[in-house]
This record gives sequence, structure tokens and C-alpha cells, in this order.
Amino acid sequence: MKKRTHFSKMKILLLLIFAPAILLAQETITGKVVVEGTGEGAPFMNIIEEGTNNGTSSDIDGTFSITVSTLPVNLRVSALGFSEKVVNVTTAGDITITVSESSESLEEVVVTGLATSVKRSNAANAVSSVSAEDLAGLTPPQTLDGALAGKFAGALITKSSGAPGGGIAVKLRGVTSINGNSQPLYIVDGVYVNNNSISAAGLNSVSGAASGGNPSSQDNPSNRIADINPDDIESVEILKGASAAAIYGARAAAGVIIITTKKGKQGKTKISFSQDFGFNTIIRLRGQRNFTEATAEGTGAGNGALFTAARNNGTLVDYEEEIYGEEGFISNTSINVSGGSENTQYYAGFSNNEEDGIVKNTGYNRKSIRLNMNHSFLEDRAKLSLSSNYIDSQSDRGYFNNDNTTTTIGQSATFTLPWTQLFPNELGIYPDNPDAASNPLQTRDLITNSEDINRFIVGATLDVKLYEAEKSNLKLALGGGVDYYELVTTTIFPKLLQFQKPGNGGINGVSALGTTENKDANYSAFLVHNYTTDSDLNFRTQGGVTKQTFYRNTVGNIATDLIGFETNLDQGANISVNQFRQEQEDQGFFVQEELNYQDKIIGTLGVRGDKSSNNGDANEIFYYPKASAAVNLHKFDFWKIPVVNQFKIRAAYGEAGNFAPNGALFTTYTNTLIDGVAGIIVPVSPLALGNPDISPERQKELEVGFDASFLDSRINLEFSYYNKTVDDLILRSNIEPSSGFTLEFSNAGNLENRGVEVSVNADVIEGDKFNWNSNLIFFTNESEITKLDVDAFNLGGFGAGLGTFRIEEGKSATQIVGNDANGNLVVLGDAAPDFQMTWSNNLSYKDFTLSFLWHWKQGGDNINLTNLLSDFGGTSPDFDDIDLDPAGVTPNGPFRVGAFGSGNATPFVEDASYLRLREVGLYYNLSSKIREKVFGKYVSNFKIGFSGNNLINIFDYNSYDPEVSNFGSNGLSTGVEVTPFPTSKRYLLHLAVDF
Amino acid sequence: MKIIKIFLITVLSSVVLVSCEVEDGKDLNGPSTESISSDLSRGELRDAVFGILSDMRTRLGTQVDGQAVAGREYWRVASSDPRWTADLLTGTLDNNTFYTTNPYASRYATVKDVNLLLEGLANTTETFTAEEVAGIRGFANTIKAHELLMVLNQQFENGIRVDVADPQNLGPFLSYDDSLTAIFNLLADAATDLSNAGSDLPFSLPSGFSDVSFLEFNNALAARVEAYRGNYASVLTLLGNSFMNMSGDLSTGAYFTFSLDGADIANPLFFALNSTASNVRLAHPTFLNDAEAGDTRVSKVVLRDSPITVNNENNDQLVGTHDVFVFTSNTASVPIIRNEELILLAAEANHITDPTAAVAAIDVIRTAAGLGTYASTGLGTSPAELVTEILRQRRYSLYAEGGHRWIDLRRFGRLNSDLAGSIDRPGDAIFDRFPTPANENR
Repeated sequence: MKKRTHFSKMKILLLLIFAPAILLAQETITGKVVVEGTGEGAPFMNIIEEGTNNGTSSDIDGTFSITVSTLPVNLRVSALGFSEKVVNVTTAGDITITVSESSESLEEVVVTGLATSVKRSNAANAVSSVSAEDLAGLTPPQTLDGALAGKFAGALITKSSGAPGGGIAVKLRGVTSINGNSQPLYIVDGVYVNNNSISAAGLNSVSGAASGGNPSSQDNPSNRIADINPDDIESVEILKGASAAAIYGARAAAGVIIITTKKGKQGKTKISFSQDFGFNTIIRLRGQRNFTEATAEGTGAGNGALFTAARNNGTLVDYEEEIYGEEGFISNTSINVSGGSENTQYYAGFSNNEEDGIVKNTGYNRKSIRLNMNHSFLEDRAKLSLSSNYIDSQSDRGYFNNDNTTTTIGQSATFTLPWTQLFPNELGIYPDNPDAASNPLQTRDLITNSEDINRFIVGATLDVKLYEAEKSNLKLALGGGVDYYELVTTTIFPKLLQFQKPGNGGINGVSALGTTENKDANYSAFLVHNYTTDSDLNFRTQGGVTKQTFYRNTVGNIATDLIGFETNLDQGANISVNQFRQEQEDQGFFVQEELNYQDKIIGTLGVRGDKSSNNGDANEIFYYPKASAAVNLHKFDFWKIPVVNQFKIRAAYGEAGNFAPNGALFTTYTNTLIDGVAGIIVPVSPLALGNPDISPERQKELEVGFDASFLDSRINLEFSYYNKTVDDLILRSNIEPSSGFTLEFSNAGNLENRGVEVSVNADVIEGDKFNWNSNLIFFTNESEITKLDVDAFNLGGFGAGLGTFRIEEGKSATQIVGNDANGNLVVLGDAAPDFQMTWSNNLSYKDFTLSFLWHWKQGGDNINLTNLLSDFGGTSPDFDDIDLDPAGVTPNGPFRVGAFGSGNATPFVEDASYLRLREVGLYYNLSSKIREKVFGKYVSNFKIGFSGNNLINIFDYNSYDPEVSNFGSNGLSTGVEVTPFPTSKRYLLHLAVDF
Repeated sequence: MKIIKIFLITVLSSVVLVSCEVEDGKDLNGPSTESISSDLSRGELRDAVFGILSDMRTRLGTQVDGQAVAGREYWRVASSDPRWTADLLTGTLDNNTFYTTNPYASRYATVKDVNLLLEGLANTTETFTAEEVAGIRGFANTIKAHELLMVLNQQFENGIRVDVADPQNLGPFLSYDDSLTAIFNLLADAATDLSNAGSDLPFSLPSGFSDVSFLEFNNALAARVEAYRGNYASVLTLLGNSFMNMSGDLSTGAYFTFSLDGADIANPLFFALNSTASNVRLAHPTFLNDAEAGDTRVSKVVLRDSPITVNNENNDQLVGTHDVFVFTSNTASVPIIRNEELILLAAEANHITDPTAAVAAIDVIRTAAGLGTYASTGLGTSPAELVTEILRQRRYSLYAEGGHRWIDLRRFGRLNSDLAGSIDRPGDAIFDRFPTPANENR
């Protein structure tokens, strides 16, 4: 997604070419540069006489004076953070130049090397950027990764949980790994930021979700990128595949998301305050089954009479409404102060985000403090940047997703019949639920499942110009950063719960405490050399070293059979502990040569070498090369198409790696206990046979495309095609279970992704009062397993009778297969969408701005088991409808149950297309006249508005939301639904004031 | 171009810098299997032995439930996994789902534990005495035989792989008879080893084995295998060397023990009385209907406060009025083999050649169950009549503790005839084996 402001630049270019010769004379122009909207003076703006080296800058109040040789003249006014402006001055004397603040001007450069960046117009990749305005300006997002959805081409972003606080899967350009990491690498101000999802201790021991052998990523944890406050972000750049991300080498195969946070600007101290209030509500309720006495009787002998009695007394309960019907309160407060002198700039921000869930006792609270400093010294030859961030985030996640004990709130609710009374009596005592093992109201009200994170992210970079001459210079760039957090998960299932009572087979209360200490650090040192020949050919050479260390220590303590109502871990009869540790060290180097011939032809060659303690041989260096070229055809003299003012063709190739997942190298015993004596066994789950010879996956990507701008850049078109292959896929494939293992690790396949990304941006209407900018993005991706050295195998999902993913040579990597009515294994769908399309618009009329973002995902299937579960409970809303049975005889409920009984997965695979109004916002900026009347000079900006997320959702999918994932955010198998925490829509009111 | 030189030197030096060593990654979260298989130390011996004994219990619930449902001892109801009342009653079994794959893989995982121990014993640099080596090997092969028998009990005439030491080069599937023979030979070799092991094994055993000597346990298992093979003379010899005691406590035997401590597991066959349809074992109505008047063993099931109804897609119902309550707490022990079964094996081994001895053994069981002698029923002592009686006593004596009924009816060819009256719903059927897991790639 990009909105570029080449408009004025192109004018300059044209002026440069066509401007007549300059006559000699002396004229003085004086005046003031003011900021649009506020009318305030703009300090330290650069004012340059077009086509010359003659220039000046405005003072702290925005006033300036420049002497020019002749009139008329074009003055070019620019500064970081403002849109560049060219004004034509015909007479000497006082003028006022109005400039507008812009975050877009920062998008002018994109990262192409570890220590360098280039102008976007020279980039050989379609690097997507998302500005602060696009990210959080429209409507405040809950989490950073969620805010990226629909904002750029090539991503499939799926919310795995509707619980406040995140749980989001980001997949860039299709499937990049089957069993390895498939989530992009996040880098914030140069710091490698951890994005783990760590399950709470003890949850799986209650839900038993993994007792059927499935992984316990079903515990609905959040992912740690959610800690980054979207409000602090200046811009986000997305390197989608190896052709752009090769510079990050061995960790970059799933793409890299580079985040730059806000920095202070030289000038007056600016204080911004904003406050949002709002609420969220469930996107869609599934509804209730319309019972009759006869159908009620069908759920169990005697139920017909109970139903009739309850109906007559008006005591039928809609448990879905009861549980998911809350309106969660939202409050976001943000205050930041920025400013600085010529040498030192700072940005300090504090924010507090609170959001309650649509289920009682769920919610999210994040407090974030940021301090960013820039300091220039040694006569501007050295620049030190520091960024520091402290985050305290807490979330109450509830108790949802798959289980094997029918105790989660979601599952037990689907089994609860509307005439069953579950409310507590006047003494606060909840009745046991006769329909399920848990009283969902009791569970909701009494359990605790919370995550509490304390996190520091600190980074620093130091750039020093070691040498500078007319034609060459040498720069040293040092960088380093640490991401440290402690995550505490608290899980309490008090003994009062129906399923904890010993009389019901319970274990008399569970209290679990999980503690994770995570410390990731990265360091780098680079030298960058620039040399320009007389013929304006620029060579830029860089080389340097990198090092990353990763450390994680997770300890889970679970106490059961609790004393009284105590929750301390020592207050239980049985205590178990588990620990998981991970340590890794990577080292690498990177060299790159960039050639730029007059901005006409830009070429790059580079290679990264990486070694890691996570490889079979820790000191084997893996090399990741890259090469790219871009040609700005419009810069050549032969370009004679005035309508097309920019035309660039580009091609980029690169390779990147992906490490073997933890444990792939080893076959590890797990501990056990019998009769008080410890023992060791080959693990039941995941029962994987390790392979010490495993090598990292290697991704190779070729991207080609063109960028074209029309009508003085009023219309911009960007087209890319890519072919991305992954060799040496690390597969955890099936092995004959008689070997003692069920899975083994091996490098055993290749896959390929092909896709097209198109984006069109247009300033449809540009006027004094009315402006309309529109942006359309279309993208599609197709994958194929091109080679498979092991037998085709199923993964994700719950087997062929319920629909499962299947890795099979020659087939899509995301195909969903299952048994049909005749018991044959057939393809039932594909999780990958046919295409996605987003349409964002920004309309402004006078002081009003209306923006909205539509997101259309066409195709892509889910495995939906929620209906089946509620069929078992007899509560499905469509239980008595007849539209699934091809013969038109059996109602849906019995049809699905029957299909389940005969192992027919057909009814469970559903189209998950959607069209949704992802974001909409309407804002009013108090005009400067009114503002000054009301607030005097103290307030420089005053904005109020209304916004919403997901307000309109159109889909056929037969549940809460097609965006869902029972198995969490990593891996292939997103899109499996088992009674999830439903997603919500949000309504917000805003107030923003700048002082 | 001095600058270029400096620059190149820096680039080169950075490459040199990278060439400093990175330490190889270690598995921080547990010992690698190689630590045992490459060289078994005395310290690791106990870890391996207790690991093996603990692992024998993995998915025991799934295995016993599968066989008990197949033999119509009870219905297993789990609302979040209705395949228990679908596939396992209709007999349309999936070769790639939990009831097939989990017990199979878990038993072979224990076999793997055993093979790693045996490999470590062969490679050991520890100074184990010959007696100790014999003891370890005898123990390991006894357990391996038991685990293979558990797999074979489900696989029946599909046969099983016995040689599975090398994951990349697995042995062939043997026929049912050859598999039984291989299992018996393992036990026989183990018995020889155990008899050469001196007075004490070089490791302790959990309390579940405190009633019996390990060699007696081995002989008891071997007697069971020989009975399955129909080698009745051999059964009698083996029983004589086992812990069988006609006048002793019927519950004497070897047991799996459970606890709620740390990494230990709870008894998977226990559910509280009056559990909901979420997870419950409901006695098959025939258990009470077929019981002889006065049989105290009917107390193994308990009347529920309210019955549970399970509907299938055709609205055919299972109505369960009684909970299975053989194991009365989540730490109750589960028998591996006990005196009651041995006495009935003695009855079986004698039923053709020595009906009087057979009846005497039957009467031990009948008396313990509060019933009159076999003679008092007026039934005859022909082999066919005695088999009927022995199967009946085995059904009630071993109810819900190992899925015995299904195996017993199968080996006498009476699955279909005896269970004909236990078919609950149209479309339900009896099956005689679980499918071989799909991933075995037969």
C-alpha cells in the first residue's frame, strides 16, 4: 500500500527540463512558512531556489529571507515530515508559504540493505509500506498485526481468536513452511522483536485438547507482537519474500516486517493528546434452534415436557446471547511530547489501551511508554539514535477452543439446552449442568486465565561518517538491541466448578502458574562506502557482521487438589512442574554492492552468510545471495509519453532461509513418573524422530514487475509477479508407528508459490474543498508441492473423517481433503483464497474527512466443526433446516451427525469468503478560526471523530466469522474452527488535541 | 584509493570475525535417546526401567475402552468425540483415527523404550554382572512381549511386526499365529534369563509388582499366551510356576499404579458416578440382564441417578441406566494379570482333559461371587458346556478391566453368536479386529 507524493517532484523535474535560462539579477524574498491547518510557523524548513544551490532555512518561528538572482523564481520548500512544496514567486517582498505535514514523505525510502535504504522510485522490489495514518489513523487498532489486514498486497492475515489482546497469523505470499516457522520476522527500530505464542500452563491439562494427540497450540494464546503500541509507529515496511528479504538471511524466509517508530522533530515542543471511547459487540450470533415439544423430546426422554414448561413460564434461556452478548468497553488514552533542538530530538509517548471482551471477565489492558532520542554530534558527522519501550500488558483470555472434556465455555454452551437453568441461586451457588460437564456461566464467572507481560525493548544505532570528500564517503553504522520480557500466565480453576468437584470426577481445583523469561539480543556493525564517478555513476558498497542470540526459559507449575479456596502453588496436594528451555546463537555477515547510474539504472548484488547453533553443524555457513535491477525508463531521453510520467521496470532475485523447528535435530526422552519414581520414555506427543542432519529450508524468490504513474502521478499503478520456491522443506512426516514414533523430521520436499499483486492509487478528485483519494489492491497466490520424498501425509485438522490438510506432490500446499459419502479421500477445498481485494478511500470536504476500507476475500475454505458440536448437543440453529442433504430429506443436524458417523467430511468444509468493511472513520478538524476563538493560541489542532471496525460483514459461512483458527497462529492449519472465542465489531468515538 | 583498501580490510576482518566458533546447539529439555542406547549406565537403568513401566499405561484407557465397547461390556460416551458411539458400535472403523492409532503407537513406543534399553545394555561400558545382565534382559523382554500381545489383541489376524528395533528398516508383518509364537518365545527366553538373574533384580519395581515375583509374572503372562494358542498342557505347567493360588486372594497379581503426583498419570478408566454424557462409561444392559441371580459381581455397575440417552442420526437411542464402577477412584490400580484370571485359565486348560479339575477351579470363582457350585446349576461337564461357563465367569470376573470378553469370544469363534443379542441399533455390527494404522504402509 503506498500513497506517493511524486506530484510536486515531477513538476520540479519538468520545470528543470523546460525552465528557460536564468537571467542575472538580485531580488530578496522574505516571508513565513506556516503549517496547513494550524497556521503555526514551520521552523527549520529548507528553502531552495529551484535549480541552484542557493538556499536558506526558516527560523524557529518559520520566517525566512532568501536572495535570488532573478524573478520569477521557483522556491522548493521541504523538511522531513512535510510534503515537499514548490511555489512560484513573481515579486519580491513578503509571502506566506503553507506546507502540510505528511508522514508519507517518509515513505520515500525503502530498506534494501542492512545499513542502507534507497528512494522508493529506485527500488527493484515492490516493498509495501503502511504509514502511521493508514495503520492507526483511521480507527485505532487493537494490535499492530491486526491493523495490517487489508492494508497491503500479498498477505493473508487471520485472527485466531476473538479474545481481546491478539492471536493473529500473518502469512506473506502464500505458504513458506509446512512445519517450520511461517510467521514473518519483526524488526522494530533495528531490534529483532520476539513474536512467540506461549500457551498458559495448566490449560491443556484441564481441556485435554491435546490428549487426542493434537498439539496444544489450541489453548488460544496471544502472540507477542501484540505488545507493540500501534500509536507509536511512524511506518511499517513489509519485505514479503526472499527477493527483498535476503539481507536478513537465515531467518527471513517468511518475510520481514520492519517497523519504524515516531521520532521527534526539530522545533517547538509539540504535545498531542488523544482519547477514544467505545465498545465492541459480537459480529454475528449463530442463533438458536427453534424447538417444538417434539424436537425437544428428541434430545432426551422427558425434555419435551421441560421445554413446554419453560416456554410457558418464559424461562427459556438463550445461552449464546447470555455468554457472548456483552458489550465490551473500550478506552484508549494516548499522550506524547516531541520536539528538540538542532542536535537533539526526542519523542516521548505514553498510552493506555483498555478493552473488555464480549464475554464477561475477558479483556485486555496495555500500557506502553516510549522514549526515542536522536542526537547529532561531531559537527553532524555522528548520529546516535536510541529507542526504548516498556510495555505492561495483561489479558484475560477466557476458556475456549477445542477440548476433549466438554468443559470449555464454548463447547459446554453448545451442549446446553435452553430449558436448562444454569444461573446461580440467591446464595451464589451454581447448579451443575445436566447437559455437559461444565456449567458455562459458572466457568465464565469463576475461572482465571490471564497473561501478564512486562517487556523492555531497547535499541540503539550509531552512524559515524568516517570520511567525506566530494566524490566519496565512508560511514560506519553500529546497531544493537535487546528485547526482554517476562510473561506470567495464571490459570485458576477453583474447586467449586462443576468439573472440578471430586464427586463429578474432578481433581478438586487447579491452579497453574507459567513463567517465561525471554531475552533476544542482536548486534551489527557495518561500513558503507559511497563513490560517485564523474559520469554520475554511483557505487555504494556495504559490508558488515551481525550476531543474534535468543534465550527462552518457560516454567509451568500446576497444582491440583487445592486446599480450601487457596490458589498459591503450595496449597495443593499434587504439584507438577514442567520446563522448556531454548537457546540459540546466530552469526552472519553481509556484503552488498549497489550501482546507480543517474537514477536511470539501479542494480544491486549482495550475499549474506549465516551460521547458527540451530543447525546440525553449527559452524557451517549458509549463503543467501541476492541480485536486482530497476530501470527508470522515463528518465531516459527517448521517453516521449507525457501521459505516463513515470515508468519503471524491475526484477529482483533473492534467497532466504528458515531454521529447523525446535527439537528437529534431536530425539528426546520425556520424563514420567510411576510410584513416585521418575523415568524416561520416548514422548507420546509429538512422538517425532529427530534428525541430526537436518538443514535449513531455502527459499528462492524471483519478483518482476513495473511501476507506472500517469497524469503527473495522479494515478499510480504497480504490478508484480513473483515465483517463490522453497527447497529442502522440513517436514514432520508420518513414519510407521511400529517404529515407536509416529512422526519423523526430514528435508523431504519442495514447494512453489506463484502470485500476482496489483495496486492502483488515484487522486480521483483534487480540489480546494473536496478531495478524494482511492486505492485498490488485488492479489492472488497459488501454491504447489512440487516434490515430496515421503508419502503424502495429513496434518492439521482432526483426520480424514472431519477434513484435514494434506501434503501431496503436485497438489496445492493448502488443500483440504476428507472422505466423501462413499468413503473415498477427495479434495474438499483449499484454505488459500482465490484472490483478495481491498479498496480504501479517503474523502475530505473542507474540515471533514471520511475514510473507509473494504476487504474482499474470495474463496478459501475452512474446516468448521462448531456446527457439528452443537448438533451433538441438539442446539444448532439450522438443526431442523433441510439444505445440506442432497436428497432433501434429512435435516441438517442429523445429516451432519450422520456424515460424522460414516466418516464423511463433506459437510464440514465450508467456503470462508467474506466482504467486510474493515475500517471506517469520519473526522472533523476544527477549523483554525473556530479553534482560535475557543482555545486561543494554546491549541494547534483539535479533531473529533467516529470510527468502527468490521461494521459490515457479508459472508455465507455458517458460524461467527470465517476468520478463525483453532490451532493458533503458526503453521499451515489456520481456518479450523472449534467453538472459538467469537470475533467482534467495534465502535469508537475520538478526540485528539495537539498543543 | 587508500579508503578502498581500508574498506576491503574491514570487510575481510568482518568475515574473519564471523568465523569465530558458534557452539553446537544442545537439547536443553531432556536426555537424548542416544544417551541410553549408546551406553547404559547404572544410574540410567532405573530411569529406563521406570520409564518403561510408566509408558505401559499410556493410552491404556483408549485400548481397554475400544475392546470393551467391541465386546459390548459397556458403552463409552464422550460428547466431544461421538465416534465412541458411532464407529465402535457400527464396526465401520477408521484406520487413521485415535481409537486405532493411539493404543497401537503407544504400545510400540514402550517397545521402543525396551529396545533402547536392550541396545544400551549391549553397548554398555558399565560393569554389570552376568546375573544383572540376565535380569535386565529378562525384565525387558517380558515387558516387550506384553506390549506386543496388547497390539496383537487388537490387530488379531492382521498380524503385527515383531522386529521393530530399526525405525528405518522395520521387520515384516507376521501372521496371527506366528506373532503369538514370537511373543511366547520372547517370554520363554525372558523366563530363562530371569531364572539366571539371581535372587534380586538390579533395580526395584513399583508397588504394583510387590505381590508377585517378576518370574511368576512372566509365567502368568506366558500362560495367557499359551491359552490363546490352545496349548493347554503348557498352560498348566506355566501356571504352576506362576503366582496362581486356588485358595488365595483373587486380586493378587501385577498392577498398573496411578497417582496425581507431578508427571504421573491418573487412572484413565475411572469416571465418577453420575458423570454427564461429556465423558461416561455406561454398562451395557446385557451385563445385568445376563447375570445369574445372586452374583455379587453385578456391583461392578451402579444405578445412576438419571439415565443417559445417546441419539444417533436416525434417532435410535442408547439408554444407559448404570455406570461402570470397577475402579472407584482416579488413583485405583488396574490389573495387568491377577489370580482370578489364572484360576480361570486353569479351568480352561483342564476343561477337556480333566473336567473335574476344571469345575473345581470354576467353583473357586463362583463361590467368591456368592454363587452356588457349578454342580448346583445342573449344567453338564461336556467341553462345550464348560467353555460356556468359563466364558461366562471370565465375563463377570474380568469385567471392564482389560477388554477380555471380546478377545475370549473371538478365540472361541463365538463373537457373532454370543453378541447377536447385544446389537443395540439397526446398522450396528460386531467386528473382530481393529484396522492396521494407515501409516504402517502395508
